[in-house]
Amino acid sequence: MGGRLTPIRGEITEIVGGLSSGRTSHLLACLGEAVGRGETAALVDTEEIFDPASAAEAGIDLRRLLWVRCSGNREVALRAADMLVRCPGFALVALDLGERVPRLPTTMAFRLKFAVRRTDVALLIVGRRRLTGSSAALAVETLREGIEWAGPGPAPTRLARVRTTTRVLRALRGAPGQEPSSWWCA
Amino acid sequence: MVVRVSRFACVLVEHFDAAAIERCEPALRERPLAVLNPRVDRPHDGASTARIMTTVEANAAAREHGVRPGMTETEARARCPMLLTRPWVEEYVASAHHALLEAALAVSPRVEDGGAGTAYIDTAGLERLIGDAAAIGRRLVHQVRAIGLIPRIGLAASRAAARMTAVNGPGAVTIIPPGRERATLAKVAITTLDLAPDVAVTLGRWGVRTLGELAALPREGLAARLGPAGLRAHDLALGLDRDPFRPWTPPPFWEEAQGLEWEIDSLGVLAGVLETVLERLCRRLTAVSLVADSLEVRLGLASGGHHARDVALAYPMSEVKPMLTLAVLDLEAHPPPAAVTRVTISAHPIRTLAGQGGLWQPPAPALRDLVTVLARLAALVGAGKLGSPVLVDSHRSDAFTMFAFSPPSDSAASIEPRNGAGASAGLRLALRRIRPARRVEVETIGERPVRVEARLVVASAGPWRASGEWWDVQAWARDEWDVVLGDGALCRIARDRLAGHWYLDGFYD
Repeated sequence: MGGRLTPIRGEITEIVGGLSSGRTSHLLACLGEAVGRGETAALVDTEEIFDPASAAEAGIDLRRLLWVRCSGNREVALRAADMLVRCPGFALVALDLGERVPRLPTTMAFRLKFAVRRTDVALLIVGRRRLTGSSAALAVETLREGIEWAGPGPAPTRLARVRTTTRVLRALRGAPGQEPSSWWCA
Repeated sequence: MVVRVSRFACVLVEHFDAAAIERCEPALRERPLAVLNPRVDRPHDGASTARIMTTVEANAAAREHGVRPGMTETEARARCPMLLTRPWVEEYVASAHHALLEAALAVSPRVEDGGAGTAYIDTAGLERLIGDAAAIGRRLVHQVRAIGLIPRIGLAASRAAARMTAVNGPGAVTIIPPGRERATLAKVAITTLDLAPDVAVTLGRWGVRTLGELAALPREGLAARLGPAGLRAHDLALGLDRDPFRPWTPPPFWEEAQGLEWEIDSLGVLAGVLETVLERLCRRLTAVSLVADSLEVRLGLASGGHHARDVALAYPMSEVKPMLTLAVLDLEAHPPPAAVTRVTISAHPIRTLAGQGGLWQPPAPALRDLVTVLARLAALVGAGKLGSPVLVDSHRSDAFTMFAFSPPSDSAASIEPRNGAGASAGLRLALRRIRPARRVEVETIGERPVRVEARLVVASAGPWRASGEWWDVQAWARDEWDVVLGDGALCRIARDRLAGHWYLDGFYD
C-alpha cells in the first residue's frame, strides 16, 4: 500500500481504529483518489462527522461526492449503503459507522459482498471495529505513531502533522503485517 | 394517364364561440345569445380601472336584433332586451374545435386545421367511397351535426374557394363545379377575404368591391404597388392556394387506466396495479420511440373523490422500474386519503435523441439508476440530508451548504494529473466533526487549556484566532486550540470570545 490504502473494486475493505488513529484521513484519501480519476463516489455518514473543509483541502472535487447524512441512525446508514452498492457506476461507496459499530448478521454481510461484486463497486467501511467478518477482502487497523507541532516560540501554536501506520488484519491476497508509516499534514 | 384533380371541402361553423356554448347548452340555440368577455379600461386621469363586459361573439338570433361583436353588454341589451349572455370560456371553444376536426377526420384522413370553427378536408379519392361531391357534403354535415355543431360546407378545387363558398353559399352545402371558381366567386364581396387592413383600405380606395374586380386587376401592377400581400389577395380572388396543405393529426392519448373490483388500502398492493398500468403505457411509448418526462397518477377513491399526483421524472424515460419507484415514493409521501378503486396514469411524452459518452470518460451511474437511488435515499434519510456539499465563502467554522447531487459530465479531472498523488507529503489530516459543536468545560492556566472535561491536556497548540461578520448581528470571534488529551485523543477545541464558552469542534483522525 505504501502508506496509502486503495480499496479494491468489487470487494469490501474495512478500516478500523480508535479516535485520532488516522482512519478518517485514510477515508478522505480514498475518496479523493476516486473522484480525482473523474469517477463518482458516495459517503454514507452515520454520525455526520464529514468535514467538507478538510475534504476540499485534501483536493476532493465535492461535486462528484454524494454525501448521505444519517443523523446517527445506524440501521438507516446500513440500508443506505446497501442501496448505493446496488447502483452500478459508483467507483467507491464509503460507510462511516462512527464509534458504535452495530452487529451485522452474516447473511447481511454476504448480501453486501455479492452486491459489490455484481456492480464492481468498492465498498469501504470505517469504524471502531470490524463489521463484515470474512466477507471483507481487506481489513486494516490504523494506529497513530506520533505528532509534530509547529510554532515560532517554545510553545507550539499549531498542529503540524501526524504520523500513522496501518496493520493489515485480513487480506485475501498477501499476508497480514505492518505497513510503512505515513505523515498527514494538518 | 390519370390526372389527379384536387378537390377540397371547407367545413365552417359560423359564430363559433357562440356555437361552442350552444353545443354545451342546446336550449340556447334558438334564443339570442351573446358571449361576453371583460375588457379592462385604464383611464389616463389616474382613476381606478373599469371592467366593462364586451360582446366577443353573438349567434344568428342575436345578430337579427343587431347585436355585433365589440358592443358593450349594455348596448347589446339595449338592442335585444331578450338577450342571454354567457362568459367566454376557452375550454368550451377548444373542445368544440377539437371535436370539429375529429368529425372531419371521420370522413377523410387528410384534414387541415383552418382555425377556430374551420376545417379543410382533402376530398380527392372520396368519390369511390362516399359518392359525388354532394354526397361528401351531406356526409360532412351529418358528422358535424352529430357533435352538436351546425356547419356550412363549401366544395371547390382549392381551400380558398371552398372557404368563400362556405361563407357565401346559399345552403348548407354549396359546390363549385371544376373550372367555375373564378366565375362563381366573381360577385362575392372582397370583405370575405381575410386581408391585411392596409391592403383592404387601399383596394377600397381603388374602388375594388368584389373578387371579380380584384381578379381582373393586372398581377404585375398589384405586385409593384402592394407587394406580396397584393399577390396573395389576387391569388385568393382567383381561388388559388399557394400554401401547402398541412395535415392535422389528433394528439395521441397517452393514458392507461385500470378499474378495480376491490378496494385497495395498501401501498404495496397498489404498487402492483401501478406496475401493470405502467407496463402498458411504457409499451405504447416504446413502440413509437417516445419517452415520458412526467406522469400524472390519478387514483379514484372509494369515498367518491380523487387523489391526483404529478410525478416529475428527473430525466425522460420509458422504463417501468424507475417510473414505478418514483410513483410509489411520491405516494408514500402523499398517500391517498381513502381506499383506491381506480388507477389512471397519463404520461407527457417527448422525443429524445440518444447521446454518447466521451471515450476517455470514466464510468458513472446511469441517469435512470442514479435518479432511482437518489429518490430512495431521499425517502430514507430526507431530501435535506442528501447531496453534494459546497463550501460557503466564509471563515466561519463548518460553513457549508448542500446542493442536489449532479456530478459533472466533463472528464477534465480524469486527464489532469493530481498534484502530489501517491506522495505521502500530499496527504491531509482530516477533522472528524461533532455536529453541533459540543459545549465543554475547560480549565485554563492563563489562556492555555490544561483540562477538558476533567481530562488532562497532554499537549496543546494555539491559539489560532479567527473572527468575522463583526459588522453584523451574526458577529463571531473564536480562539482555536489543538490539544492532545490524556487518553490519546487529538482534538480541536475553540473558545467563543464573545460568550466566553468552550466548544469541542471535533477530533483529528
